[in-house]
Amino acid sequence: MKNFIYNIGYFLKETKTILQLNAVSNIFSLLSTGLIFFILAMVISGWWVSSQIVEAIEEEAEISVYYEESMDNYEVTQLMERLRIVKGVVEVRLVEEGEAYKRMEDILGKDAGVLTYLEDNPFNSFIEVKINMEEMNFVLGKIRLVTGVDYIRDNQEVLKRIENISQILKLLGTLIITAVGISTLVIIGHIIRLGIYNNREQINTLRLLGAHELFIAFPFLLVGMILTLGGGVLASALAAAAIKYIYAQMAGPLPFIPLPPQETLVSGIVIIVIFLSAVLGIVGSVFGLSSAKK
Amino acid sequence: MIEAKGVCLQYPDGTMALKNIDLQIVPGDMLYITGPSGSGKTSLLKLLMGMEYPTEGTLRVLGQPIAKGQDKGIRHLRMAMGPVFQEFRLIKGRTALENVMLGMRFLNTTHGHLKEAAIHTLARVGLEHKAFSLVENLSWGECQRVAIARAVVRKPAIIVADEPTGNLDKHNALNILALLSSFRDKSTAVIITTHATHLIEGEEDVKHIRMDNGNIHWERPRMT
Repeated sequence: MKNFIYNIGYFLKETKTILQLNAVSNIFSLLSTGLIFFILAMVISGWWVSSQIVEAIEEEAEISVYYEESMDNYEVTQLMERLRIVKGVVEVRLVEEGEAYKRMEDILGKDAGVLTYLEDNPFNSFIEVKINMEEMNFVLGKIRLVTGVDYIRDNQEVLKRIENISQILKLLGTLIITAVGISTLVIIGHIIRLGIYNNREQINTLRLLGAHELFIAFPFLLVGMILTLGGGVLASALAAAAIKYIYAQMAGPLPFIPLPPQETLVSGIVIIVIFLSAVLGIVGSVFGLSSAKK
Repeated sequence: MIEAKGVCLQYPDGTMALKNIDLQIVPGDMLYITGPSGSGKTSLLKLLMGMEYPTEGTLRVLGQPIAKGQDKGIRHLRMAMGPVFQEFRLIKGRTALENVMLGMRFLNTTHGHLKEAAIHTLARVGLEHKAFSLVENLSWGECQRVAIARAVVRKPAIIVADEPTGNLDKHNALNILALLSSFRDKSTAVIITTHATHLIEGEEDVKHIRMDNGNIHWERPRMT
């Protein structure tokens, strides 16, 4: 260990020399790792944004709770309180008969005239309950048991479909991130392996002089770390610029899409990419070194 | 120091490089191994360096058995040896001084004196003035001296030089042999391979084996 500490200056100088001696190859390696990490950053951003959208949709899942007609205002208020405390319920709101009629007019649009043939307002007031979709079945079961609830219109089929879409998106995101992560690892490992191959004579000489593997490998590990971290920084800069551009394009024409705040997304992506580049740099270097030893 | 009993080396392609070698080298010995190309000189050095393992017989160098599964011990053994390779194996892009210092960096030596010792050794091989030159800017003979400096700066128990006189004229070859033998002392043995037998004819107090088709013949001292 003492020997290792004494040699830190040597390791840094050696790393600089290895980088300089294969400057062109190292620049291309840095650019290619940067582009790989940029692709990874964009995949993660897409996954993040789509998760946010799905989450927003999930949070806005609504069901209509109808109560017994005999209930007076006080009892309805009491019922709303009972619904509010059910786990998984996000918001509870009373929709009066007039509002229910208005909503139907909006839904029917130009055909709303048919409603004028009705003498009285046929719609009953009901309680609109926003629920957490992930707990949908549990919430529905609980609400059915609440005293005063007559029946529930839950649009379960629509909600189920949204839930399926959200699960597919999550699975796809995980698969793509895993695939890109593994490709990154293999490519970085290969780049480092090539670097070791280019310096195989030096490595063999050191082995014949009796140097231990860590002494030989450490400068190459540092080179791998620098290349991948450099690639990570490059990818972060590219990703930040790309996200800024995409947000500028989407903000005007698609204002209803609930995007996460730009600053949160950019800082999150930068942290993830830098962290991943450091980890993949170390793992890739070790992978490259061990495969080069065989 | 070195003890070989009935050592054979057969390469995977079936070539029998060494046949039934018996050898004993003690501290302070100066051993010349001569013989034509392909006679087994380099194979014997490879065995001594732990780059190959005997396929038959036993070989111990500085007490370390040379055999499969002895990687750690062989690495430690290499730290106690000073090899001068035929093609020098200097690290390009580094200066002569850096190459010499590299031979000591992973040894348990005092790092404060590393540079001092390297410059001193370069002075001993007559290259103090080239200490800060990149090795690719040195001549063939200068590179050879840097390689010798890298080997001896470690104060090894065994100095091993593979064909150090290879491309040299008689005058320079004798100088190199004299330089290498100057590092021989009561605790350091020097082993040199060369195909130029005439260069060592006048030398006294040396051991000499001649190799021929994987067999060794003792020239000095004569074995009865």
